[in-house]
Amino acid sequence: MARPKSIRAPTTASLPSNLRIPSSTPSLVKSFGKLTRQALLDLAFQWLDDRSIQAFPPYLQENEDQKEEEDEELSPYPAERTVNDVRNAYQELQLRKGGKREVIDRILEGDWRHGITLRQLAMVDLRYIDDHSSSLRWTALELARIGNQPPPDADLSACVPRVHASTFLNSLQQQIAPLVKAHYYLSRSTSLPLTFLRIFVTNSPYEHPRQAAELLTDASRVIYVAFPDSCPYLYTSIASSPGSKASASTSPHAVATDPRSLQRLVRDALPKALSLPHQRYNLKATSLTAKSLQALLSLRGPGRSNHSNGAFSIFADAALEGSPLDPRPSDTVTPEEHMNHPSHHKENQPTDSETSKAPKRPLTNTTTTDPHTAKKRTLTVQSRFGTSGSLSSAPLDRLDIRLLDSPHTSTTSTTSTSEPTTNTPTLSLTFTGTDIISGFRKLADLGIVDAKKMPSWMTGEEAVSVAVIRGGNRVVKGTG
Amino acid sequence: MDPDDLDTEISSIRAEIRTLHHRRRILTSSLLSSRPLQRLSKTHSLPPPANQSHRQQEWTDISPLLQSSASHAQTNHHRIAFSTTTFPFTDPSPNAEGKSLLGIRIDICARDGRYMKPYYVLLRRVGRSQGGDGGGKKEVKVLRHTIPSVVDMARLERVYLPLESTAEDGEEEEQLKPWKRKSRNQDLKSFVREVRKGLVVWHLRCDAVRYLRETLGVVTRGVDDDALYEDDERPWERDILGPTANTDGAGETRIAKNKFGIVSLGPTSLEAVYVRLEWEDGRVGRFKISNTGVVERAVVIGDAGRDKLTEGILTGGDGRVETLLQRLEKSTVPASPEV
Repeated sequence: MARPKSIRAPTTASLPSNLRIPSSTPSLVKSFGKLTRQALLDLAFQWLDDRSIQAFPPYLQENEDQKEEEDEELSPYPAERTVNDVRNAYQELQLRKGGKREVIDRILEGDWRHGITLRQLAMVDLRYIDDHSSSLRWTALELARIGNQPPPDADLSACVPRVHASTFLNSLQQQIAPLVKAHYYLSRSTSLPLTFLRIFVTNSPYEHPRQAAELLTDASRVIYVAFPDSCPYLYTSIASSPGSKASASTSPHAVATDPRSLQRLVRDALPKALSLPHQRYNLKATSLTAKSLQALLSLRGPGRSNHSNGAFSIFADAALEGSPLDPRPSDTVTPEEHMNHPSHHKENQPTDSETSKAPKRPLTNTTTTDPHTAKKRTLTVQSRFGTSGSLSSAPLDRLDIRLLDSPHTSTTSTTSTSEPTTNTPTLSLTFTGTDIISGFRKLADLGIVDAKKMPSWMTGEEAVSVAVIRGGNRVVKGTG
Repeated sequence: MDPDDLDTEISSIRAEIRTLHHRRRILTSSLLSSRPLQRLSKTHSLPPPANQSHRQQEWTDISPLLQSSASHAQTNHHRIAFSTTTFPFTDPSPNAEGKSLLGIRIDICARDGRYMKPYYVLLRRVGRSQGGDGGGKKEVKVLRHTIPSVVDMARLERVYLPLESTAEDGEEEEQLKPWKRKSRNQDLKSFVREVRKGLVVWHLRCDAVRYLRETLGVVTRGVDDDALYEDDERPWERDILGPTANTDGAGETRIAKNKFGIVSLGPTSLEAVYVRLEWEDGRVGRFKISNTGVVERAVVIGDAGRDKLTEGILTGGDGRVETLLQRLEKSTVPASPEV
């Protein structure tokens, strides 16, 4: 440990980024092991970079001259003398082929044997999310303004709440500091227009943080919040392991320290921290939970496709008509061409069209004998699904549907629902898979599902993952 | 010969064929919709000449093409001239309350003469009007739209398209918003005007920022010659207004070295209302672009506190965003000897 003799008084400050977790903690191997060898090496180079070496100093020999020599010999990774030597060691690993285990061992037992800081652990976790964008389940929440609405003649353009990272973190810390001890790490996604915030929560400010090293690596105590650029939504992952669920209801003492309630505290504090004077925000559920961040971005993101999906995705992708300067009549141009705006590169077009054509042809050939009905069916499928599920995809991995209509009487269903629902059964459907909407599309393509009679929730038009359906339409609860 | 070379050659030839195909189609359709040909087709279609049977045959072959391109050209003229056009659309959903929708298409032209992807708003009639009698009030409600969240559609809809029939949330709303009790009539024209205004203003702001960046010079990572800027230690920045910004990981760019000493200039968000500036000497600035394209407010902070002089230059003069760099240039000429 770095400063074993320092006195720790209980404060409301956040956990310091340089708080070290002992490298011998077994769960560290697990969290490092999630990454690939290359990702681990990248991180090591990042830590050894001139700009960040101060924050992540490796273990060097000069630091601890007083250490006994036999202890050194026992270690398979003798301490290097300079930072450059450490860099060279990783360069060597970079050139050599091998497993990731040797990199992990080198990091944990060699160069950072004095401990992995909380910041390093956060970087490891976020690197994993960056590499595996569907490793967590994300829930989209909407930032809704509460209180006084601005007068109608006010500036109508400024509507998206602006997030200034450090100010936001300060006010978030102020909100939760008396209740939760936390460590924050902000990072920009490398592949998506998102900013990730990783919040690690521990029990209370009055607990000694060094007592349990395992506690500092507990994945159920980590909350991720992703802020998409310029839109009034945010995505959270409430990572909950089954173990924490069981401990939630054991005793009143556990209520304060159980990770779930701490996570709830953080979630409640988020909108308050985002609020400004005279501009208060509230988090509203948007009934969308998905694993793929790409899906969340296209359904609750800054772009065009938030409110036009399913049959209306042709408008979101502008796949129907081109620009008014295009002399070609719209019906002679394929949707793919419309979607790739003329100014863009043409290089990536052949692969797109070839891959999209390839699966279509065998489907139509094998399933139907009559080309006329097949053609008619594809037209219907296209009119119902638009481009969703084929050209543009927002993969939903789970779709929960509750049907309020009674299964037998379709005509009187609207009147019976107003009565007490003791004798009217409701039907719950759950679909899981990698991409449910495109699965529905495939079923419709094959003729298993009649595309004409499909309710709109099957075409992805509602852009939700949880819905209550009555008479084929989604029932939206009152905005209370 | 190396198979890789052959592959690249084949793909380049394929790409060329594709561009040529594309060009041929553009040219044929331009030709079909050209005025002389259209005029000719009119004269031919009206009186059927008896003697030239084979030429008549050619004209009847070509006339559907001519007609479709003529109507297409006319639609395009409307779209260019009015910028906001309407169209009917049928909701394919079997459970929809009202099948026929009113579509509104908004075309916006960017600075370089290209048109953006058109924006759409689809409206559905609500209330008694769908019962069939024409006497009911024609109230509409936004069903779907493709307007990005830069324009607050929910708010515009609340202001301009209030529904009379929604009684349940009316009471609470009326307490909060007493002004709405006076005018509960829908104003579709104003609604569309405000939506379009929001979009146009947003595009103008984006264009202005892009123009400023281009004037300073933009280096794209990987695309432009990196060797020139190898000694450049500045980090790359994500260009959120770039051409690929909305699709996937945007290309990373930075401002080229310039005489103003500006190392970074970019909008703080997609909305492009606030623009952040950074100078070589560590000064950081931020200004707000108003809806009319004027630099409304500016703050510049250096190590020694506020730089009121630069702030004055940013907001001074005619205040336009486009002339911001010229103003800065003018001011740096007398200032440079003393530095």
